[in-house]
Amino acid sequence: MVMRGQPGNRRRGGMRMGGFRAFVPHVPFDLVLCEPQNVFPRCRPSPDETAFTQALLKRNQDLSPTAQEQASVLALITKVNQVMDNMIVAPAMFEACQIEEIRQVGSHKKGTMMAGHNVADIVALLKTLPTKEAVNALASKVLDDLKESDAAEVLNMAINESGFEIASSDATVKVLITTIPPNFKKLDPELHLEAKVMQSHLGAIRHTRWFEENAFHSSIKVLIRLSRDLRNRFQGFRPLNPWIIDLLAHYAILNNPARQPLPINVAFRRCLQLLSAGFFLPGSVGITDPCESGTQRVHTVMTLEEQDQVCFTAQTLLRVLEHGGYKQVLGFEGNSSIATEMSVWEGVVVTPSEKAYEKPEKKDGEEEDAEGEGEDDVEGEVGDDMDTVDGQ
Amino acid sequence: MASGYFYNPSTGQYGAQPGAAAYQATTAYYNATAAPAAAAAAYDYTAVTPTYGTYGAAARPVADTGATATYVSPYTSSTGYTAQPAYSTHTTYSQPPSGGVSMYSNSATYNKPRGGAVGRGGNMYGSGTKHYQPASKPFQSSATFNSGGASKPYNAGANTSYNKQTGTNTQTPYEKAVLTAASSYIKQKNVPGSKPGVQSPVVGGSAGAGTSGKFQSYKPQYGQNKGLGQAPRVPKPQQMHYCEVCRISCAGPQTYKEHLEGQKHKKKEAAVKAGNANNATLGQNALRCELCDVTCTGQDAYNAHIRGSKHQKVVKLHTKLGKPIPTTQPTVVNPPTPAKTTTAVSAEPKPVKKVVSTPKITFVGGTKLTTTEAGPKEVKTEQDKMDTTPAAGAGGDAKEIAPLLPKEKEIAPVGEEYLEEVKNDEGKAISFLCKLCDCRFTDPNAKEMHMKGRRHRLQYKKKVNPDLQVETKPSLRQRKVQEEKLRRQLLLEEYWRRDAEHRWREEMSHCRVYEDDRWRYGMEMEYGAQAPFPGHGGGPMPIRRGQTYDDRHIMAKHAMIYPNEKELQAVQSIVTATEKALKLISDQLAEQDAPKEEPPKEEQAEEQEEGKLQIKKDIKVETESDVEEKDDNKADEKKEEEDLKPRALKGVMRVGVLAKGLVLHGCLDVELILLCGEKPNKSLLSRVAKLLPEKLATVTEEKYEMKLSVRDAAILLASNVEPKSCVKLTLTSPLMRTSTDEPEDKQATRAKEPSDLLDKQKCQDALAALRHAKWFQARASGLQSCVIVIRILRDLCDRVPTWKSLNPWALELLCEHAISSGGNNMTPGDALRRVFEALACGVLLPGGPGLLDPCEKEPTDAAGNLQQQEREEITASAQFALRLIAFRQIYKVLGMDPLPAPRFNRKLGANTRKRKADGSAPETEEAGKKEKKEGEVMETAATTA
Repeated sequence: MVMRGQPGNRRRGGMRMGGFRAFVPHVPFDLVLCEPQNVFPRCRPSPDETAFTQALLKRNQDLSPTAQEQASVLALITKVNQVMDNMIVAPAMFEACQIEEIRQVGSHKKGTMMAGHNVADIVALLKTLPTKEAVNALASKVLDDLKESDAAEVLNMAINESGFEIASSDATVKVLITTIPPNFKKLDPELHLEAKVMQSHLGAIRHTRWFEENAFHSSIKVLIRLSRDLRNRFQGFRPLNPWIIDLLAHYAILNNPARQPLPINVAFRRCLQLLSAGFFLPGSVGITDPCESGTQRVHTVMTLEEQDQVCFTAQTLLRVLEHGGYKQVLGFEGNSSIATEMSVWEGVVVTPSEKAYEKPEKKDGEEEDAEGEGEDDVEGEVGDDMDTVDGQ
Repeated sequence: MASGYFYNPSTGQYGAQPGAAAYQATTAYYNATAAPAAAAAAYDYTAVTPTYGTYGAAARPVADTGATATYVSPYTSSTGYTAQPAYSTHTTYSQPPSGGVSMYSNSATYNKPRGGAVGRGGNMYGSGTKHYQPASKPFQSSATFNSGGASKPYNAGANTSYNKQTGTNTQTPYEKAVLTAASSYIKQKNVPGSKPGVQSPVVGGSAGAGTSGKFQSYKPQYGQNKGLGQAPRVPKPQQMHYCEVCRISCAGPQTYKEHLEGQKHKKKEAAVKAGNANNATLGQNALRCELCDVTCTGQDAYNAHIRGSKHQKVVKLHTKLGKPIPTTQPTVVNPPTPAKTTTAVSAEPKPVKKVVSTPKITFVGGTKLTTTEAGPKEVKTEQDKMDTTPAAGAGGDAKEIAPLLPKEKEIAPVGEEYLEEVKNDEGKAISFLCKLCDCRFTDPNAKEMHMKGRRHRLQYKKKVNPDLQVETKPSLRQRKVQEEKLRRQLLLEEYWRRDAEHRWREEMSHCRVYEDDRWRYGMEMEYGAQAPFPGHGGGPMPIRRGQTYDDRHIMAKHAMIYPNEKELQAVQSIVTATEKALKLISDQLAEQDAPKEEPPKEEQAEEQEEGKLQIKKDIKVETESDVEEKDDNKADEKKEEEDLKPRALKGVMRVGVLAKGLVLHGCLDVELILLCGEKPNKSLLSRVAKLLPEKLATVTEEKYEMKLSVRDAAILLASNVEPKSCVKLTLTSPLMRTSTDEPEDKQATRAKEPSDLLDKQKCQDALAALRHAKWFQARASGLQSCVIVIRILRDLCDRVPTWKSLNPWALELLCEHAISSGGNNMTPGDALRRVFEALACGVLLPGGPGLLDPCEKEPTDAAGNLQQQEREEITASAQFALRLIAFRQIYKVLGMDPLPAPRFNRKLGANTRKRKADGSAPETEEAGKKEKKEGEVMETAATTA
C-alpha cells in the first residue's frame, strides 16, 4: 500500500519498471461524498446541532483578531509596502540590491489571521542575487525610510535567515526575501540565502494567489481558523502545516456533491472524519497540491509517523466529539489531555487511539522500509506562512 | 442464494440448458462460418491432401450411385453451402478422369468442414489421381464413369480398383497429383473452346458418342468458359511460389517462406479465417472483388479497383499461373435477399466455373495454407455477357459494371461546379481541384468518384445545400464500440454458460427432487433460478496479478477461513437430506390432512404467479407485507372456492450463512426455515420432529442426531461424523408477521387458533432472516470483493472480543454500504480498508447515521443491539485497524503472520533505504490524476493566452 510508487532516484525508478503495477491511490470513505447515493441512510433523526454550531461561531469570534489589532497590522504593512514600492520605482536610490516586485502573502493577506498573532508577511522578489549583505542593507534601508516618514514610531528590526522583520509595538511585518527563478542556479550557500527557504517564499506567493481565487468563501476562513486552533492546542496536529490546513478546509467546505458550501458544523466534523478515515495516510489519495507541478499529494510532506499521529489524534477527537464533548474539543473546557488520555462521556469511556506506525526494524526488512521516511519532503514543510510556524 | 426449495421448477431446465446452449452455439458456428468461409476451410484441407485417406468412409453411399445429379445433390441439399463452385462437377464429368479427379478432391475439400459427409469420395479420387495421365485417349463416356459400376470401386476404397475401371482408358499412372490437377484445368479451359464433343486440345481425348448427348445438356455451362478457352496456354510446370491468401507470387522459396511468416500475411490469414465477420460491418453497399479478395464500399470504388494496378497485377499473376479469373462482376457482400439466392442455387444447380490447379506449386513446409482454391469463385451463367476474358478484364476497357446495389443508384454526383480543372501550360488538364473539400487529384476517373463520395457530399451539404441527404455511416469509433459490445456479449455468454454448467453440476449432485413441482409454495419461484450454494460458487477468488500487499494477505487469510471441500460436502449433504426428508414429510402431511384432493394444476400456476409477484417486490420491504397480505387473501379465497386446505408445510428455505455463502471453515452451523401454511404451533413442530428421523433414513444413509427445541421453534440436526455440521430448522409462517395490524374481523377468526403457537419472536426472526438472505443475494453477492470482505470480517468478529457484539446482519449491511459506494472493481484490500474507514469516521457513533435496516418497515438500526460503549470500542478498533492497514501491518488485523514478499520484490530491498533523498513528485504513482493536472495546465495556458 505504502507509497509504492514514490518517486525513486533514477536507479530505483529503473528497477521499478520491471514488475510493478501503477500506484492507484485509495479513495477513502467520505460520508458527505456518499450522500447522493444515500449509502448510509440515517436510521434516527440527526441530533440537534445548534449548540455545537453556536459554539463553533463563538470560538471563531474568539480567534479572530480585534479591529484594533487588524488596524495596527494594516498600518505597519502599508508603510513597509510604501517604502519598498518606492525602491522599486526608483532603483537608483539604493545600490545593494534591486527589487523586482513585492507581494503580500500569508494569513494576513488571506484573511485568516488569528487573534494575538499580529504578523503580516510580505515577499520581496529580488532581481539581484540575494546575498546576505544585500539583505542586511535592504533591511536597514527600509528601517531608515520608515523612521524617516514617521520619526515618532518605535520600530525594531531583526534579520533572520528568511529575510528580516520589522516590529512595532503591537504588530510585526515579516519581509521574506526571494529571488527571480533564473538566479536560483547561481546561488552559493556561502554567500546567499538558502535556496530552499527562498523556494518556499515563491511557493507562498502561489499559495496566496490560489487562495484568493479559490478559497474566498468565509466559511473556509472560519474553518481554517478553527483548524489552526485545533493544531495549536493539540500536539498531535502539529505536523499539519498552514498550507495543508488551508487545503483541507477548502476541501471540507466545498468538495461535496452539491458544490455548495457546507454549514460550518458539518464541515468541522467532516474535517475530523476525513482525517480519521485516513485521508492523510499512506496510500490515500489525499489532496493533490494545486500549486505544484506534477501530482504531489500534499500530505506526503509529513513523515509516516506524523501522518499516523495526525490520524489517531483526529480519531480520538472525533469520538470525543460524537459522544458530546464538543466544548472540550473546541477548547471551551478542559484541556488537550482528551486527545491523549482516557476520558468519560455520559458513561462511555473513550480510549485514545494509539500509534500504529512502527519504525522498520532492520535495514533489510524490505516490506516496512518501502514506507520510506523519505516522505518528508522538505519543500512542502517550508511551504508557507512563517507566521504560524513560530507564533503559537 | 436462499434456495432451499424442495421443488425448484426451473431445476429441470438446468439440466438441459447448458447442453442446449452449447449445442446451439456450435450449430450457429456452422451456419455462420461454414458457408462464407468455405473457401478458407478449403485451404486447409487441400494443403493436407495426402491425409485424405484418414477421413472416414462415411460418405460415399450417396455418391455411389454415380449419377451426376447425385453428386450434386448432397451439396445442394446442404443448407449452408453457397460454395457451389466446387460442384462444377458437370464439367468434370465430361472430361477425362483427371479432371474429375481434381474436381473431386476439391469437392472433398469443401465438404470436410461439414463432418465428412462426402469426404470419402474426394479422398478416393484424390488418391486415385496418381494413376492418371492426362487422358491421352478419349474418355469413354460420362455414363460409364458415372454409372453404378463405377461406384463399386469407390466403395472398395482401393486405388487399384479405380485403376481397373479407368484402365479401359489405358492410362498410365501419372507422377504427380498436382500436375494432374493442373492439366485438368487446362482441359477444362480448353474444352469449351471446341465443340460440345469436348476435346482437349492438349490431350486430344474425344468423348464417345454416348457421352455427347449428355454433354449437350451441359452446354450452357461451357459457354461461360469460352473466354478462358480462347487463350489456350500450356502451362509449364514452372516453379512458382504463390500465396493463395494474399494472391501474390514470390520470387523464390526463401521470399515465399518469409512472406508466410510475415505479419501482413498472418493478418490476412486471420482475416480469412474470421470469414465474413468483418464484412458484416460494411453494410449493404459493399462489393467484393473475388479475385483480389478486396471489399469495396461502392460501385465506383469497385470500378476503380478493377481499373487499378493492383488488380491488374493479380489478374496477370493468375493468368500466368493458369488460374481461372472470375469475371469482373463483383460479388455483393451482403445481398439484400440472401435467402432467395440460396434457394435458387439449390433449385437448379448452377454451373459454376471451377477453379483448381496450379502448376506445381511449391508448398514450403510449416504452413498449412496454400491451396489451389482461393474461394468461391463463381461465374453465373446468366452473366454470360460479362464473360470477359481475363485479358479483357485486365485490359481496363471493361465496361463499367452496372450498379448492383440498389442504394448506389440514388447517388448522383453533386457539386460539379466546384470542381476546377487545373491546366498546364499547354492547356491540358493535369489535375482537378475540389474547392469544397479543398483537395486535389490527377485522375479524371477519380473526379466522378469524388463527387459521389461521402466526404464530398458532406462538404456539399455543409457548405452548399443543407438539404442534401447524406447517408450516415457508422464512424470508426461507433464501429469499434459495436465490436466491443459484441465481444463483451460473447464473454458474458461464455460466463453465463460456465456459470450455468457449474450450477447444473451442483444441482444434479444433490437434488433430483427439484424436478417435481407439485410442492405447493408460493415463494419458491422467487429463488427458483438460483443455485443452492450461492456464494460458494465463487469460491476463493483466483489470485489476480497486480495484487497489493493487502490483497495478498487478505486472499491468503481468506483461503484459510474458507471451508474446505469436505466441509462443503458435509454441509451440502446434511442440508440436502433434510430438504428431501421435509419434502416427504410435507407430502405425507398433505395426504393426511386432505387425503382425497390433489391440488389442481391451475392452482400451482397461480401459486407460481404469486411467487413472481414476490420476486418483484424483492427487497422493498414496504410492499412486502402488502403482498403477503394479498397472499393471505388469495389463500382465503381459495379456501372458499375450492374448500382446499393448504399444505401444512409449504416449503423450506435456506437462510443465514448458508444462503449467503458465508459458511466459514470450522463452523458448519447452517439454518433452514420451514414455511408453514398456518401459523406454526407446537403440535406441528412435534409432528415434523416425529416424522423427520424416519424420512431422513429413507433419503440418506448417514445418521443425524435430532433435537427438538420448542423454545426456539426449531429442530436441530447434527451430524456425528467429522466435519461436524449442524442444521437448525426453524418453523415459521408469513402469517406471523402480519397478525398484529390486521383488521378486527380477521383477528376474530384468528382467535380460534390453537393457543400453543410457537414463540412469535423466534418465528419473526426467521422471517427476517429470510428477507436478509434475499437482500444479500440482491445486493451483496454480486458485489466484487464484498463477500470476501464479509467473510474476513466475520472471522474478525469471531476472534476479537470487541467485535463480537456486532451482529452479522449489521456487518453485512455495513460492508455492502461501504463497498458499493466505492466504485467498481475494488480489490479486496481496498474494500476492507474502506469498510474500516466507514467505521472510523463514526458511522456507528451516536452522532452518525447508524445502519438503517432495509428489511424492516419501521426505520430500525440493524446494529441497534449495540451499547454506546460497544459502538465506541468498535469504532476505536476500526480506527486502529485502518492505520495498521495503512502502515503495512494488515497481518495484525487479520491475525496471521506477514507473508513474505513476492519474489520479484526481492531485489528492491537493497535500495529502498535511499529514498530519503528523493523529493520529486511521484510520476508513476498518480497517473490518474496527472490527466487532471494537465487539464489545469491547459486551462491556465488558455487564460494566459
